[in-house]
Amino acid sequence: MNSVQKGLIDVHDMGVVFGANDNEVIAVKDVNLNVQPGEFVSLIGPSGCGKSTILSIVAGFVKPTSGKASVDGMPITKPGSDRGVVFQQYSLFPWLSVRKNVEFGLKMAGVPQGKRNITARELLDLAGLLSFENHYPDQLSGGMKQRIGIVRALATSPQVLLMDEPFGALDTQTRVVMQEILTNIWQQFRISVLFITHDIEESIFLSDRIYVMTARPGRIKAEIKVPLPRPRTAEMTDTPEFISLVHQLKGLIREESLAAMGPEIKSRGLTGFGMNVGPKGVGQIF
Amino acid sequence: MSNTERVKKANISLVVPQADDAKATATVATPEVPSSAVPTPAVTETAVPPAEIGALKMRPLLERITRDQIITALLACLSIGALFLFWYLGTKYKLEFYIRFKNVPTPYDVFRQAIEVASSTKFLVNVAYSVKRIMFGFAIAIAIGVPLGLMIGKYRRVSDFFMPAVEIMRPIPAIAWVPMSIMLWPNNESAIVFITFIGAFFPILLNTIHGVHSMDGVLIRAGRCLGAGEVRLFWNVILPGSLPHIFTGLAVGMGVAWVSLIAAEMISGQFGVGYYTWEAYSLVNYPAIVLGMITIGILGLICSGLIRLCGFFMMPWLAFAPGSKK
Repeated sequence: MNSVQKGLIDVHDMGVVFGANDNEVIAVKDVNLNVQPGEFVSLIGPSGCGKSTILSIVAGFVKPTSGKASVDGMPITKPGSDRGVVFQQYSLFPWLSVRKNVEFGLKMAGVPQGKRNITARELLDLAGLLSFENHYPDQLSGGMKQRIGIVRALATSPQVLLMDEPFGALDTQTRVVMQEILTNIWQQFRISVLFITHDIEESIFLSDRIYVMTARPGRIKAEIKVPLPRPRTAEMTDTPEFISLVHQLKGLIREESLAAMGPEIKSRGLTGFGMNVGPKGVGQIF
Repeated sequence: MSNTERVKKANISLVVPQADDAKATATVATPEVPSSAVPTPAVTETAVPPAEIGALKMRPLLERITRDQIITALLACLSIGALFLFWYLGTKYKLEFYIRFKNVPTPYDVFRQAIEVASSTKFLVNVAYSVKRIMFGFAIAIAIGVPLGLMIGKYRRVSDFFMPAVEIMRPIPAIAWVPMSIMLWPNNESAIVFITFIGAFFPILLNTIHGVHSMDGVLIRAGRCLGAGEVRLFWNVILPGSLPHIFTGLAVGMGVAWVSLIAAEMISGQFGVGYYTWEAYSLVNYPAIVLGMITIGILGLICSGLIRLCGFFMMPWLAFAPGSKK
């Protein structure tokens, strides 16, 4: 649907400071990252490291204090339908039916009713939810809502899709299914994706490339390529390559999660607090 | 808006006379359908298929009446019946312990009075006057209150400008406006409509503001991302998102509008149910007082019922909102 050439996200030397004077908080510092056209890139890091802030800037909700962010060379100034956004919270309009929700962006773009209808139904079919087109969002489960959230963001044929921990509120089983659905949709649309998550397995399963962020102030700590072939399947998560990537990322993140807890915990380690940290690492406990 | 919030709201508004109206809208979310017939909000992937919902709508009304509803109806009859019984017994035995039933007309007296006024159009004219004044005052309150409330809720500077004035004017009860209103407006009719407007305006305005404030910010961001500009955002996101609160405001506003109208009619009116009731007192026509009161009650009930009905048709989605069923 989209030409593969479009959808280049470029974030250059970006810094974000919230508040002023004494209350100043450096959320993000010296961030450089890019998403190539058609690429699936994850941004992963401990809570509060500013990964959502970066997404907010690319979406156009927040202006960076320093540095630049652009899509296809055009500086980002405000939100727009050239960038689809899928939010962590359910963000469907509860007063609109499922189909009207998907049509919303097209309606704003002035697409006539008949055409909107056809596009929305195609997308709902793709999400496997065509039979629910006349339901209201509150009648659906969390997984269904997020699927609709994704196709709603795709309805206006954006060049890039920005996803802010979209599956964070879902249970593990639903999550896994949603990840597979997302890879399928992404492969059909060949759209650039910037995906925010704190789930290591999720980021590996979905991405071509992963940026790991440090604790606040958030910086890019590492950039990791995921060499796993596509299409990815659930079975791949048991392969040695996958597992070694998980270990590598866990090491990187664990350090930062400890740092995010404050200097005391970092120096003492969690055992000093009578806690037994399992192999899953700190991030999953908190 | 969750139901808990809605109920909380209703309780807060108890300070306002006729707060029943607020409660009435509070339950706008719950359609009068037996709970078994409402599709459960799907928690799992197996939500009720649309065909099944259609089938439920098709079923004849009689079949949908459950035992539950029969009990509800019986209790309603009992509630009103008890009121009548107290009135009847009080007047029959001329009850006198601090409150005095000596001069209170019996239900039968009032019934006779109702038959009497039904034979002429005089009473109907009074009712028509009151309804007309309510309609005008209320319509103007909506026309100004809702757009202004949306703007105040959305823009900080608009709020900074209007809110100080609003906060000073708000505590002045509509009844206190009666003398000023008579001086201010060229005729009695516009003065009364103005007082009705004042009564309805503040609840509508404040609830609209609250509606905008309590909207989930992610919906506004979602609207922006999907390409909605400022005007379209108002029309397509902020207004529908605030609608449940606006309707709470309409219900409360309607109650206060009636209070204000009746007071204004009693003091300065010609025609109107309030005027009728006060005139009856002056003329020592006690049954007419009660008839006037009952008429006011019924008119208020019809008005809040109409608002509830509008709410139900304008916000069908509320039936599925979280917390709409307990």
